[in-house]
Amino acid sequence: MMAYLKIKLNHFIYAIAFISLSAFSQSKYITKTGIVGFEASVPSFEEVKATNNSVTAIINTSNGEFAALVLVKGFRFKNALMEEHFNENYAESDQYPKAIFKGQIVDFSMEKLDATNKFKINGELTFHARKVPLEAIEVKITYAATANTIELNGSFTLLASDFDIIIPKIVRKKVSNEVDVSFNFKLDKK
Amino acid sequence: MKKKIVFGVLILFVCLGVYNYIYQDHRNINTEKPKFTLTSQSITYQFSNNSTEAEQKFLNESIEILGKISEINLDNIVLDNSIFCQFQKSIANTYKANELITIKGRCIGYDNLLEEIKLDQCIIINNQK
Repeated sequence: MMAYLKIKLNHFIYAIAFISLSAFSQSKYITKTGIVGFEASVPSFEEVKATNNSVTAIINTSNGEFAALVLVKGFRFKNALMEEHFNENYAESDQYPKAIFKGQIVDFSMEKLDATNKFKINGELTFHARKVPLEAIEVKITYAATANTIELNGSFTLLASDFDIIIPKIVRKKVSNEVDVSFNFKLDKK
Repeated sequence: MKKKIVFGVLILFVCLGVYNYIYQDHRNINTEKPKFTLTSQSITYQFSNNSTEAEQKFLNESIEILGKISEINLDNIVLDNSIFCQFQKSIANTYKANELITIKGRCIGYDNLLEEIKLDQCIIINNQK
């Protein structure tokens, strides 16, 4: 009887360990090809706009933690010279190759995704050696059950000056200090 | 009169030069000679040894890497679980996992969330079966 119980107990422990392990491994959704775009255009001047489609993003669905890493060199502009100036004079991407956002989705749970897709994220963005807090960014989160993917969509506005990026006087009419950032991440279960 | 024509032509050339400077072509990684040619093991080792130093060395350079496909998706290939290579067009169904392959692309940096080296504008140089 004792031996039988012991075996049962062992099974039980294995089962618990297995369940917690699989629950842990199932809680992360990842993309390596997320899209982040920004626009600092001024009406009636040439558009100042770039897209990066190799952004890494991770969401931990068990606690709502979210992180996104943008490699700044991956921003592509229509105009090659603009891309060069962005990298050399504004973002200084040789020196600061990364932009990292780390944050928390407020009151997130997988169950909630059935009822609503409107969430808010709080966090901070590190870029150009500056750390700027971002509060209550609205984000639309949708879950596709068949493909088992989570999609995050949203946009927010930044000030270039907050990141110590100074737009020279001569181009101030053509490049806005207010930068509209948009993002789209389609994350797969890992 | 002649002076005016010469002056006009000169202005035209200056305008053309300015236009070409402002609307210059994008760098073409495909036709560029690679600055570094190495194996996936070699570049992975350099990044795991000192990622900041390696990033400074390889950043924005065109690199040719020989490695084994560990993951293949619609527009990207992962070599030996450590080098993420993004293509500008779809490469689905052309290659399989575990094939040896040489890929040329531009290093855009080190992804320390997933511990992967990232390349964009990749092309496949050859496929050694």
